[in-house]
Amino acid sequence: MSISILLRITAVLCLCVSATVATATTWQHEQGTLTLSETPKRVVALNWAATEALLLLGVTPVGVADKAGYSVWVKEPELPEAVPNIGTRVAPSLEAIAELKPDLIVTSSEMAPATDLLERIAPTYVISVYKKDSRPFSKAREMLLTLGEILDLEERAQAILTDIDHTLAAQRERLRRHGADDQPVALVNFLDDRHVRIYAPNGLYQTALNALGLTNAWPHAGNYWGFSVVGLEAIAAYPDSRIVVIEPTRPGLSEHLEDSPFWTYLPAVQRDEIYQVDAVWPFGGVFPVMRLASNLTDALIQGGTDNVR
Amino acid sequence: MYAETRLATNTPGLPARLPLAAALLWLGALAASASPWLAELDPAALISAFWTYNSHDYTSVLAHFSWAPRVSVAILIGCGLGLAGAVTQQVLGNPLASPTTLGVEAGGQFGVTIATLFAPAVLAFSPDLAAVAGGLLAIFLVIALTWRLGFSPVTVILAGLVITFFMGALNMAFLLLKGEWLGNLFIWGAGSLVQNNWTPFMDLWPRVLVLALALVLLMRPLQLLQLGQASASSLGARVGMIRMLALFLVVLMSATVVSRVGVVAFVGLAAPVLARLLGARNLVERLVWSTLFGGGLLLLADTLAHWASTWGDGSLVPTGTTTALIGGPIILLALQSFRNTHHMPGQDASPTGFIPIRRPAVVIGSVLLTLLLATFIVSMGWSPGLQEWSWTPLSQWDDAWVWRGPRMLAAILAGVSLGLAGTLIQRMTGNVMASPEMLGISGGAALVMVLIVLSGAEVGRAGQLTAATVGAAGALGLLILLARRHRFAGTQLLLGGLALYVFMDSGLRLVMASGGTVASKLLNWMYGATWLISESEALALLSLILLISLCLFTVIRPLTILPLGDTSASSLGLPVGRARLALLLLAALLTASATVVIGPLSFVGLIAPHLARVLGQHTVGRQMMVAALAGGLLLAVADYLSRIVVYPGQLPAGLLAALVGGLYFLWGLSRHGRS
Repeated sequence: MSISILLRITAVLCLCVSATVATATTWQHEQGTLTLSETPKRVVALNWAATEALLLLGVTPVGVADKAGYSVWVKEPELPEAVPNIGTRVAPSLEAIAELKPDLIVTSSEMAPATDLLERIAPTYVISVYKKDSRPFSKAREMLLTLGEILDLEERAQAILTDIDHTLAAQRERLRRHGADDQPVALVNFLDDRHVRIYAPNGLYQTALNALGLTNAWPHAGNYWGFSVVGLEAIAAYPDSRIVVIEPTRPGLSEHLEDSPFWTYLPAVQRDEIYQVDAVWPFGGVFPVMRLASNLTDALIQGGTDNVR
Repeated sequence: MYAETRLATNTPGLPARLPLAAALLWLGALAASASPWLAELDPAALISAFWTYNSHDYTSVLAHFSWAPRVSVAILIGCGLGLAGAVTQQVLGNPLASPTTLGVEAGGQFGVTIATLFAPAVLAFSPDLAAVAGGLLAIFLVIALTWRLGFSPVTVILAGLVITFFMGALNMAFLLLKGEWLGNLFIWGAGSLVQNNWTPFMDLWPRVLVLALALVLLMRPLQLLQLGQASASSLGARVGMIRMLALFLVVLMSATVVSRVGVVAFVGLAAPVLARLLGARNLVERLVWSTLFGGGLLLLADTLAHWASTWGDGSLVPTGTTTALIGGPIILLALQSFRNTHHMPGQDASPTGFIPIRRPAVVIGSVLLTLLLATFIVSMGWSPGLQEWSWTPLSQWDDAWVWRGPRMLAAILAGVSLGLAGTLIQRMTGNVMASPEMLGISGGAALVMVLIVLSGAEVGRAGQLTAATVGAAGALGLLILLARRHRFAGTQLLLGGLALYVFMDSGLRLVMASGGTVASKLLNWMYGATWLISESEALALLSLILLISLCLFTVIRPLTILPLGDTSASSLGLPVGRARLALLLLAALLTASATVVIGPLSFVGLIAPHLARVLGQHTVGRQMMVAALAGGLLLAVADYLSRIVVYPGQLPAGLLAALVGGLYFLWGLSRHGRS
């Protein structure tokens, strides 16, 4: 946290300097320096976390990567239909980006090999919410605040973060009042009827758990996206935990699980502690944390069942 | 055929090490698998977990519904794959044959991918159906393509290989475009034996048993095959029919087995190799011991995978990873002990026994050059925009060059180097199936890249290039080390390359199982992301390739002489060992520079030299020239298509090369049959 405060102070200082000198403003980022002489109007986002941050700030990007996927997997904040797609997230079309004549490109270090090519098109701001040893939520906050500065929308960025903090605090209070915050939870996503993604303490979702005062049942660090793919039997090692299933689930899953005594004898199932929440994109920015926290609180207060739906 | 030479050395007694090794393998695997449970359950309770459980003790429930079915499935599937592998090797008369060689696994995966995307109801109805249909489609294509050619082992393997590449490329295209929707397929492709129910085992065992019985009934006709095709025909056996029936059963077995747990491929290859190494001589012995070794091997591999999962951060280590890790050393073992070099397919004749008429190199060369030029013009000029297709006016080609030029130039150069490298290697080994891809030189480069992605480190362009070069050089070093004692003979090189490929594959499977997004990134590179290439990189590559091409003029004589055999070559005054080393180094350098651009999996290095031969170029120099041009043309077209077909999305060019090249190859193969 102290780092992000420090960054904010530096940024504010930068702004003060720029305001007095009234020349180009610069920002340090992961792959160099971003220099802008005026506020960008046409922004292209090459990943969904950046798309989300821009939309939260009320800026509609002029082009986004994997637009169809965004509308299916991330959903909120909603992306206007008219925004052009510029290719996939792993291999965007440079030509399409150039055609849009952007004045700012937001990307992550996953695109590192292409940074030089992107710089030829427009000033590029590189920030990776997800990479080895990074803390996604503080990175996502940093991204939102810096984008706020760059786009001259700092107040809005601050307001969004304050709003999120308030929501999280309110949900925590609700959970505490219902006494639903004492038992660990395992957050899982069924991949098929034998394997789950389990969300690890180094992921974005952990922020939601921390903010709600909940303990993550899964103690191991996951990959840098913050999850591990495990066999379903791995949950059995944590008999005290509640199981929160994040949608979507595959058709036929509940019937399959019902037939398996492995599942029906699972302590959490025996205690009716299977909860199900709406799909929330686990690799986004600050917004999914708020959504998950609200959904999770609702589900935990509402009470569990003995199977997925 | 190798089978005949083995038959001659048949001895009545069974070597004692065979049952000993099998017993050791089984006991070791079982003990290792059981050991984590013994802390919580006594041995009697653990054994009884196979048929009962104590509902008051969750450990007992877990043992009965998770551990015991997993062990049973591993043994069942391992035995099935071992038997299928042994039969395949017998049918094809080739020590490298396995269900994988016939494209069954790639076909099965293709079926499941299509079903997941377009007909999820089919998957819910029966998980086997899609995989079996895909596997059958693959084998049907192989058979249809090779039918007219008398179904000879060499052709079947060649066709199977191309089908594998082709369907694998289709799978990858879907995974790259629809990765988020196919998360479970990443696991399926990596092979996981995790169980939480007895249902899969109960579904599987009757099928495996019936198929195994059917295969055993084919034993007698199969034995006739051992006598060689001519003798078997004269004895009245309908060789083609027997082969087809046996292969059909093998497909059913592999696809059924694999549809439940994913691709655990190398068991079907490793088990028969191990059985033969330990002294199984005749067909009955090979079938029996391959089956037993298959079961033991898969159980051991699965146990290792389970251990690795619990030792690490709990994240799933797919069984496909460990089978590949076990498969690699076994193939290396095989490499040390196969002394005969004349078993290799492709060595006896051209794949089809068909020699195309000679054509003047100048004519063919200028036709290819014209086509290349046309591709260049279309690629630079005619392109899709966000709104509509349009011709870029010549005055704007300067701007367009930035986005379209360097990648196309690099693709052409990669094609040229693969064409050259492929010709070099095929001439050197005297084997039309040899190519940089198959020697594992590209695989070595890819292995390092996989490791980098696994470690999560961020590397720039220069880093990628260095990593690929280090990997290719490492693979080459290993090959030289392995092959030196065999004087760089073709078979050993190919086997060594295959082993390297197996190691790379295991890393790839691990990445694929660990998560969709990382895997997409890796797959993109693996299939050649030409869009990342900058102008300076393309120009650097150009000068490198020009330099190497100059060196190539000096090697035309050794290349002409080497296939005559070591003795003749030596007597003609050629230092055989040194000549081979120099050729190998050149080929490696060419391969490394191509791999950086186009990834390790395009099979231009296999196709371009073949195309040159089909176009009537028989002497070394002409074949090299035409192969280089053909390779460049192939990848230029692939690069253009990769940019436009799903605009503004793009497919990796190497993947399209595999598709384009695959289609060409299949067409060419069927055309040979007619003439």
